[in-house]
Amino acid sequence: MNPPPRLAALEAKTISNALKAPGGLRIPYGACTVRVRAFVDGFADALRNVYGAFPFLTDDGFDDFHLVIDRGRGARRWVRPTARFLIDGVEPFEPFPRSNALPYFEWGVNWCFAQRFNQYVLLHAGVLALGDRAVVMAATPGSGKSTLAAGMMLSGFRLLSDEFGVLDPVSGDLLSMLKPVALKNESIEVIRALSDEAALGPIYRGTRKGDVSHLAPNANSVEQLGARARPVLVVFPRYRRGVGLELKPQLPEEAFARLAFNSFNYSLLGPVSFDALAVLAGRCQVYELTYGDLPKAIGCVRALLNSNGEGGGAREY
Amino acid sequence: MRIEDWDAVLVLARQARLLGTIACRIRDRPDLAKQIPDRVWGHLTASINYSSHRLQMVRMELAALSAALPPELPVTLLKGAAYVVEGLPLAHGRMPNDVDLLVPRANLGIAEAALRDGGWEMENVDEYDQQYYRQWSHELPPMRIPGHALEVDLHHTIAPVTSRVRANDVALFSALVPVEGTRFRVLNRHDQIIHAAIHLFQDSELVGKLRDLVDVDALYRSSILDQQACDRLWKRAAQHGATTPLWYALNYSRSWLGTPVPADPPGIEPSWLARAMTGWLFRHVCPPRIFERGKTPSRVLVELAAQARYHWLRMPPALLVRHLGHKSMTAVRSIIR
Repeated sequence: MNPPPRLAALEAKTISNALKAPGGLRIPYGACTVRVRAFVDGFADALRNVYGAFPFLTDDGFDDFHLVIDRGRGARRWVRPTARFLIDGVEPFEPFPRSNALPYFEWGVNWCFAQRFNQYVLLHAGVLALGDRAVVMAATPGSGKSTLAAGMMLSGFRLLSDEFGVLDPVSGDLLSMLKPVALKNESIEVIRALSDEAALGPIYRGTRKGDVSHLAPNANSVEQLGARARPVLVVFPRYRRGVGLELKPQLPEEAFARLAFNSFNYSLLGPVSFDALAVLAGRCQVYELTYGDLPKAIGCVRALLNSNGEGGGAREY
Repeated sequence: MRIEDWDAVLVLARQARLLGTIACRIRDRPDLAKQIPDRVWGHLTASINYSSHRLQMVRMELAALSAALPPELPVTLLKGAAYVVEGLPLAHGRMPNDVDLLVPRANLGIAEAALRDGGWEMENVDEYDQQYYRQWSHELPPMRIPGHALEVDLHHTIAPVTSRVRANDVALFSALVPVEGTRFRVLNRHDQIIHAAIHLFQDSELVGKLRDLVDVDALYRSSILDQQACDRLWKRAAQHGATTPLWYALNYSRSWLGTPVPADPPGIEPSWLARAMTGWLFRHVCPPRIFERGKTPSRVLVELAAQARYHWLRMPPALLVRHLGHKSMTAVRSIIR
């Protein structure tokens, strides 16, 4: 059997028809799959842009989330048209401008995942890997985490996620939650300048996070969607304009506290997340990385990931 | 079961707020658990984890309530919170949004003042709703400590005071059961079943209430073990004037969930017309159902009918006219604004 075509290889019309058909389009993210139907013009084009390397799947099977992007009701179908986001037939959010369907879809998938996937510890972290060795980059919004993750993907790392670090508390492995990387404001130009291979979608102006453009995950990352990776390195990145590279080792207990702080469901999971993060903090080398120059930061993380053994300072908890 | 079949099961169970219950029941049966595909197991584990968190929130809220309410005030827990402190299997997998307390009507003022002193606040309830709750309902408007996960509903009886079913408060309060190791009491098991039946068939819009029927089933199976016990249950329901809601609850529980309920005593069955109408509504709106692109117009109509039934049972006609009149004026005003 031939592998399914990539979305980028298809006409937008084919994707649009699949989105309207009863079975919809399946999008595999790694940790979960989403089945989506859409009845909004332009959405197929937007998907094709930022999910270009993803396989075109319309077969039957089990899916974790069932989403619909539908047209607004009443006059809002025509006048300043809106779109609506539905999960299992329920609309958890207010309608939004139809032209912004893609960023709302992306945000909606994140919301569903964060609400429901409490079988995993969900870290607010970018995760990248070389082979099966992964680095977890946890940070609060605005610290340059997505920019660094995007830059690393374009420099040969496999991207697992830029938003959700998905940690399996049973095995201690990391799973992909591979989505288009939402780049904000200045980051968009930084990434465009970094690599000719950066496949960026349109710029959405004035979203709740300012200007947003999505970087499509590359084929290397998409091909390894299903593979788990082993965390060996934790980095807390911090971008500061014009500063040199600074690397500060962190003690496991500091790392634990910072990981817990950067977890979406730490308190919800209670003992499950406590144990999982204690193991993670104990087995990985942990650094705080302050940087002003993206290529240098990427080189530094590469060197750390290549150099360190099986979590050099491993400690049992 | 093929994994594709699980797809719809998870969606429907989640909508019915039964996913955690199903997950816990499967977890406790290793023979079943090992047949569950990994990806499905993930959803079940997530709901078990989420439920553990909610139950912990219940225990924390109860600890806060314990400290805030005067020690000499007798306080009874209803529904979910009662099942949690009693440690009933029925509590496993629940995801409660509120804690329901019952105090005698004479103590309502003391309890409310103690909660306000303890930091619980009522959220945005206008003057009409305040009056509605206080005069015609069996509970006060929900209260919450800002930032707390759970609401507290303070009841003074188990059925709306204006409805045709009026629980016998003297009988109710004289049969309370203390819960060891806590300051709380719970209803005796018969009254718990009757309360669940009233809550479902007398005091709800029936929509998406399969979980309430599952509660009736679990309570019944755990406590009504023979014909004599069942007879006592019917007798108790008669004391509360609640044989009709109990009839519906036990009949649907028996036919949908296989609850081992013996034949009904004669003369209790509701009229043919009432049975047909309630049954039609219940079958349509109670089980979970997915409308992928939102509710269809016919679904909206059925739900309106269920809502009309709810109001009809809850209030005498004159009050109903007054209440709906006020609510529609408010709606009109908000549109004009």
